[in-house]
Amino acid sequence: MNVLVVVAMALAAISSLGVVLSRQTIYSALSLVVTIAMISVLFLLLNAQFLFAVQIIIYAGAVMVLFVFIIALLSPDAEDRPGRDWRAVVGLIAVAAVTILVFVAAGNGVTYNSKGFRATQLLGSCTSLNAGPCDPYRTFSYPVDATNAAGNVQTVAGQLFTTFLLPFEITSLLLLVAVIGAVYLTRRGVER
Amino acid sequence: MISTGLFPYMLGLSAFLFTVGATGVLIRRNPLVVFMCIELMLNAGNVALIAYGRFLNSVEGQIFAFMVIIVAAAEVVVGLALITQIFRLGRELDVDDISEMSE
Repeated sequence: MNVLVVVAMALAAISSLGVVLSRQTIYSALSLVVTIAMISVLFLLLNAQFLFAVQIIIYAGAVMVLFVFIIALLSPDAEDRPGRDWRAVVGLIAVAAVTILVFVAAGNGVTYNSKGFRATQLLGSCTSLNAGPCDPYRTFSYPVDATNAAGNVQTVAGQLFTTFLLPFEITSLLLLVAVIGAVYLTRRGVER
Repeated sequence: MISTGLFPYMLGLSAFLFTVGATGVLIRRNPLVVFMCIELMLNAGNVALIAYGRFLNSVEGQIFAFMVIIVAAAEVVVGLALITQIFRLGRELDVDDISEMSE
């Protein structure tokens, strides 16, 4: 199992480089398909079966087909010159620094060893699945699969339609706005 | 079951994917590739969310990852509509040339 995780992580990292380094747009798209497939494998191994299915259907299915369709429709040329100059280098250093800082900061809140995890809750909402007294240094033991005892889809749906109902409904509004925007942008007669 | 020791490597993969995506946004000119790199960054965030959710034994990470996927899908729809519209105006697909809105 661990070997599978390492292989999927390595393939995801390599194919993500392919997205950026390919000159042809279609190769970038195909690399992204591989990256997304490997990330979905990671989701499956991380006990997120529902997200695995969603990732395959929405990303590898819908989004990437849309990308490939647009690439076939527009047939963009390969980039003749890479667009890097000093601003890109400065931006890259800044992004790498911020990323490292964020992950160091995130790692500070969580300590782990072979026995379990200890998470610092920053703004402590103690209303999650792990019922118990509300102390800021709750220890989450590992491996505890009680969260997914009823099945992953059922557990996720239970949270999604109770605790997170309002964000879920707002996403429907977002999708409606996106559909209206896409129809408006691509209709005939918009040309100046 | 995968071992707990892999957790920091998951976060490392997430950071790596995010940095690669941000690099692509900075150095590539084709708006389609820029969009793919944005997808890469969103996926990096999802990896971190689900890894945290797994190792903290909570489904909330998965719920937020689900929201991120929905937002990414909406963003792709609008973005690709914009790109086809730019192409229809007879413009070259180069993010450095599309600067009307900043002027």
